[in-house]
Amino acid sequence: MKKRLLPVAVLATAVFGLTACAGGSNDGDGSNADGQTLDVWIMEGTNPDSEAFFDEVGDAFTEETGAELNVEFVQWADAHDRFVTSIAGGTTPDVAETGTTWTAEFADAGALEPITDFVADDDLGDDLVEGLVESGTYDDELYGMPWYAGVRSLVYRSDIFEELGLEAPQSWDDIVAAGDAIKAAHPEMLAFAVPGDAEFGVYPWVWGAGGEVSVQNGDTWESGLASPESQEGIGFYTGLATEHGFSSAGATTWKETDVLDNFAQGNVAMALMGSWTPAAILEKNADLDGKFAAAPIPGKDGGIAPSVLGGSHLSMFSTAENTDLAWSFIKLMTTGEFAEKWGQETGYFPGQQSLLTETMDSDDPLVAPFATQLVDGGASVPVTPTFGAVQAKKTTNTAIQAILSGQKTVEEATSDAAKEMDEIMNGN
Amino acid sequence: MSTTIQAPTPAPGGSKTPRPGVGPVQRNRLIASSRPWLLLAPALAVLAVLLLWPLIRVLLFSLQDYGLREIVSGESNWIGLANYGEILADPTLWGVVLPNTVGFAVLAVAGTVALGTGVAVLMASLGGFWRTVVGSAIMIAWAMPAVTGTYVWVWIFDADRGIFNEALQAVGLQDEPVNWFTNRFSFYAIVLLNVIHHGFPFVAITVLAGLLGVPKEMLEAAEMDGAGPWRRFFQVIVPNLRQVFSVVIILSTIWDFKVFAQVYLMPGGNGTNREALNLGVWSYVESFGQNRYGFGSAIAVLLTVLLLIITVIYVRALLKEDEL
Repeated sequence: MKKRLLPVAVLATAVFGLTACAGGSNDGDGSNADGQTLDVWIMEGTNPDSEAFFDEVGDAFTEETGAELNVEFVQWADAHDRFVTSIAGGTTPDVAETGTTWTAEFADAGALEPITDFVADDDLGDDLVEGLVESGTYDDELYGMPWYAGVRSLVYRSDIFEELGLEAPQSWDDIVAAGDAIKAAHPEMLAFAVPGDAEFGVYPWVWGAGGEVSVQNGDTWESGLASPESQEGIGFYTGLATEHGFSSAGATTWKETDVLDNFAQGNVAMALMGSWTPAAILEKNADLDGKFAAAPIPGKDGGIAPSVLGGSHLSMFSTAENTDLAWSFIKLMTTGEFAEKWGQETGYFPGQQSLLTETMDSDDPLVAPFATQLVDGGASVPVTPTFGAVQAKKTTNTAIQAILSGQKTVEEATSDAAKEMDEIMNGN
Repeated sequence: MSTTIQAPTPAPGGSKTPRPGVGPVQRNRLIASSRPWLLLAPALAVLAVLLLWPLIRVLLFSLQDYGLREIVSGESNWIGLANYGEILADPTLWGVVLPNTVGFAVLAVAGTVALGTGVAVLMASLGGFWRTVVGSAIMIAWAMPAVTGTYVWVWIFDADRGIFNEALQAVGLQDEPVNWFTNRFSFYAIVLLNVIHHGFPFVAITVLAGLLGVPKEMLEAAEMDGAGPWRRFFQVIVPNLRQVFSVVIILSTIWDFKVFAQVYLMPGGNGTNREALNLGVWSYVESFGQNRYGFGSAIAVLLTVLLLIITVIYVRALLKEDEL
């Protein structure tokens, strides 16, 4: 028995050796990966017809590399837990879509493979959207390949603005003036929704007044939320509710999804909403078609206030066996034809600068202002895994809700938040 | 245990042997005493793998600073009792989290048991048809998922469009809409309604089963002796149902201590409203939200110990020694 098995074993080893050679000798394009399978996780719901899209991508991928593509769709809500458990069990996919705030976290844990060299070899570095590169970079290495982006801007009811002879706000004073006019003419509406549980609606006012969320100074992070500028911005934002009465008691505990629902129901005239929401609004209420528009968020005295750039990266996990093959897929998805098609089908902006510039020429009142916001006023929250902890603890949301419900003044709430942010981000 | 199981009598031929006992009898006794354990072995092995090992792991994690990085590398990072120290030194725990958790649990257990018992007494006095109707109705409340139930209560108390605020304004009791979720006490009053509504059917059904088992003769005898309905309830029925009540109270306490979804899903209950934090939400926000699995494990260990202590006290107080 033993004697007969031996040659088979030798043969098997030889075959494995050969495939290993084959994989190694094809550096660069990862082609001739016949018989291999690339496992990919993609978030569900971004593209309403993602099955068809990935069938097409799979065919193109197999044609280019010979390998099969195995796409698994993951719910946003469970995704973080699934990543953590699969990291623990060593069963991560080869490539996955990672939310921009997760990339640094997983990179810090050592679960991701840096892709800096791949990007440099293919000369793609100069053509990537800067905000997404910023959030995908950790310790001077790029871990997340910019895929698609979204940004929050000011969304308003253009029919009501027209009725009252108002123009899209260009400054903070304009917002108050428009709000007063709407409140007088339509008291049943929220002139400007100020949700208490939505942190990304807060930072534009901080930045728009010249403040900072948190800045790295050597080895320590210093929160700027309690600076006079930030307090002025947060004071103005919460003041829209507490002083001017543009918001409602219920909005004190609203999340972004509640803002969306209420806007779709016609209860809200102005709010900060994402570039991905217009489609959802129309899906919920088709009557609003043509009755709302977007504008970049105004800075205090004009200009554009920066807004957080959200979106997704494609990241390569360190469990990927054939990194060249994984990169071929990432490149296929994030550049050229498929990147453009994904943007058209989802309503998000591509992560490639040259493609993004094309969309800026659009005359759609629900596309161009968002694109302008993204290019001229796209910003990132501090890129460090510890900021994820700040978000989990809801430091900023807590401050805003406490101001709106009257538990704390702007000064108390912001200095408490800044103190907590510093404690978490500097590891106590 | 082993003494109660008699070793089988030796084979008839055994009596002829001048020196019995050394060989087969002792072996038989050994087999006899180990037999129950052999029979239990498969179940115990499954329990050890599914329950004991995870418990030990949680204990081990609680002594480490265990995060995503440790999960990836698989390395340990022992820090002794530092997690426990951090938990016990946290002012939020003593000022907000524990008062909310304990206060809520006391009220929720009392409310659930009182309402459930009341409904059980009502059902015991109903005829077969109406008992089925009432039973089915409360079963629906019980079967409703906690998430669904919570959203219903949230809509009822919604500040801008909730029926509760609209009713108060229609009657003229308040001029402006009030957001009931921002105040600690009104927040927990709503959670209390939700949890009692969801929890009382279990108590009602369990107590009803016990009520139907109380001997009719005892009640008749008490009535003959001149005991009124209140006296019959508290002096005949309640002592008879002591075991049922202890089970119901212990289980309710454990559930109401660990309440999570009903708080987390409420507006502001996910940690944004710090005054409304309870043990479940606090431990989630502090540990899993921030990938601090060691810290979370330490909280879980402390919660287990706390619940064990409460359970022991209950069992001691509710059941006499000889009933154990």
